[in-house]
Amino acid sequence: MSALSRIAVVAAKEVRETIRDRRTLLVLLVTAVAAGPVFLFLIFNLVARQADRAREIELPAVNVAQAPALADFLRRNQVRLVDAPANYEAQLRAGDLSVVLVVAPDFAAEVDAGRSATVHVVADRSRDRARTTISQVESLLRAYNRQWGSQRLLLRGVATSVAEPLRIEAVDLATPQQSGALILFLVAYYALLGSFMGGMAVALDVTAGERERQSLEPLLMTPARPLEIVLGKWLAVSCCNALVVVVTLAGFHLTLAYAPLPAIGVPFLFRMVEFARFLVVLLPLVLLMPAILLYVGSRGRSFKEAQANVSLLMFVASVVPAVQLFTQQREPAWFAAVPVSGQYSLLSHVLRGEAIAPSELALSYAIPVVLIIAALGAMARLLSRESALAGK
Amino acid sequence: MIRIEHVSKAFGRRKEVAAVRDASFTAPDGAITGLLGPNGAGKTTLLRILATLVVPDAGRATIDGRDVTGERFAVRRGIGVLSDARGLYPRLTARENIRYYGSLHGLGGRDLDARIDALVATLGLASIADRRTEGFSQGEKMKVAIARAIVHDPHTVLLDEPTNGLDIMSVRALREQLRGLRAQGKCLLFSTHVMQEIAALCDRIVILAQGKVIVEGSATDILAWSGAATLEDAFVTLIGSGEGLAA
Repeated sequence: MSALSRIAVVAAKEVRETIRDRRTLLVLLVTAVAAGPVFLFLIFNLVARQADRAREIELPAVNVAQAPALADFLRRNQVRLVDAPANYEAQLRAGDLSVVLVVAPDFAAEVDAGRSATVHVVADRSRDRARTTISQVESLLRAYNRQWGSQRLLLRGVATSVAEPLRIEAVDLATPQQSGALILFLVAYYALLGSFMGGMAVALDVTAGERERQSLEPLLMTPARPLEIVLGKWLAVSCCNALVVVVTLAGFHLTLAYAPLPAIGVPFLFRMVEFARFLVVLLPLVLLMPAILLYVGSRGRSFKEAQANVSLLMFVASVVPAVQLFTQQREPAWFAAVPVSGQYSLLSHVLRGEAIAPSELALSYAIPVVLIIAALGAMARLLSRESALAGK
Repeated sequence: MIRIEHVSKAFGRRKEVAAVRDASFTAPDGAITGLLGPNGAGKTTLLRILATLVVPDAGRATIDGRDVTGERFAVRRGIGVLSDARGLYPRLTARENIRYYGSLHGLGGRDLDARIDALVATLGLASIADRRTEGFSQGEKMKVAIARAIVHDPHTVLLDEPTNGLDIMSVRALREQLRGLRAQGKCLLFSTHVMQEIAALCDRIVILAQGKVIVEGSATDILAWSGAATLEDAFVTLIGSGEGLAA
């Protein structure tokens, strides 16, 4: 009987036992399947709503009758002017209103006298959500200001360019990407998460669970070497993990391809090519996570202790991509080699339709391979120690 | 044939807990040897040393001439162990639990099926063999654990307190099974702190206290040696006069 066949025997048994655990498996797969559609649906609707909101602004205004020309300009630019409530300042502070336009009472008089007339843009700038609306209102007012000023110059026979030597035209390269940046992040993030979560329950069950059920000691008394047992378990957990990742990605793929999502101009593609590239990028994590989980699981004196340790590990691993998103800085080059982090940036490349350089891919494989060997070796050593039997 | 020569084992960071101290005894083939001792006497440690899970600090233990430390994996092929930990896989059927161990021992195909069928028949597992073990009673679990331990037809069988938690019917069935194995010429060693087990089953008795072998021999030898009328009296006298109760 070769070592390979013993590894296969262990792996087959663990897979069979996992499949028998219908409820856990079902929850795992349903979560994985549902993740894509549910998340994409929510995010698409959010983005679509934001786009709508950007197009039409409701602007509470005071004394707007003083400035009928300004009011017309704003209305032409899809601003719906409404009368501001009396307590608008309180409402602004409370966040119920984003911005209020207050036309000075002497507006018409100042204009007639040929002086600059005042409008107040009242807002609470500490509120993030209001920021878009504020800047839209301000830029509309600036545009009106410019238009009015150049009309006056034209009346006096002066070319507009005299007063406006610099013409600013914003060319926003990110525009099509912007609305989809969050979606892009979520798809990559969820794919990563799938590769952590998929094997978690199984890894705990075959390590801490085995010890708690008191079946570890009999197993260690068979002719199977600790390393063979470890490899068998690792293969089994990796299979479950791979299954969850494939199902998660399939959910994204099918949703993007067939679901009736609001049209927001998705800035990326998730075809079969991207699907396959995702799998290639995620492979080291799909294999690494089970190895680490198994090691942590077999260190725990009890199932609960192992679970607590694993949860901590999960937290750290799942926070890394989020930190990467929010720092917004160009990552240092060595990040590409760090597990999770490296995979995250490669996945972003894939979603943007960029090719992955083989050298980058190799770099992202290197550390996981070393860690897998280290974790499995450490676990085998753990199992061959006498203390493996304690704490049952 | 099990031979234990001057074996010692201590646990703890500084080896401060002595579990077995200079123990020596033999367990011959074709006989049931009982390892009798109070709780904490070192029975489980000795069985774990024989099962190759624990390495002795000093001394030598051999099974059929093979050293349990040096030839660990060769020894494992020839022994069947029903240890203190006898957990089954709850989501596998009884038959699958047994087959898993058979496969790890290198059995397979029709040979393994035949062997499992034979065990299922002799242990009376037929009605539950294809049920998952999660709802099994103590006695049913014990039978499956025994079948699992001896699926590879080992020459030596080690049992750690096998009757713990069993009802009288299961105990009787177990005794029958062990006598059957003895008739096949196997070497059986089992540990217990229950006197009746020893009296009902054992050809030879090894009394252990505080990690030391107090006396070794047949029931009549021990009675004669201690001068007591019953085995129980002999046990108390021996342990008391040894380091057991007096210490």
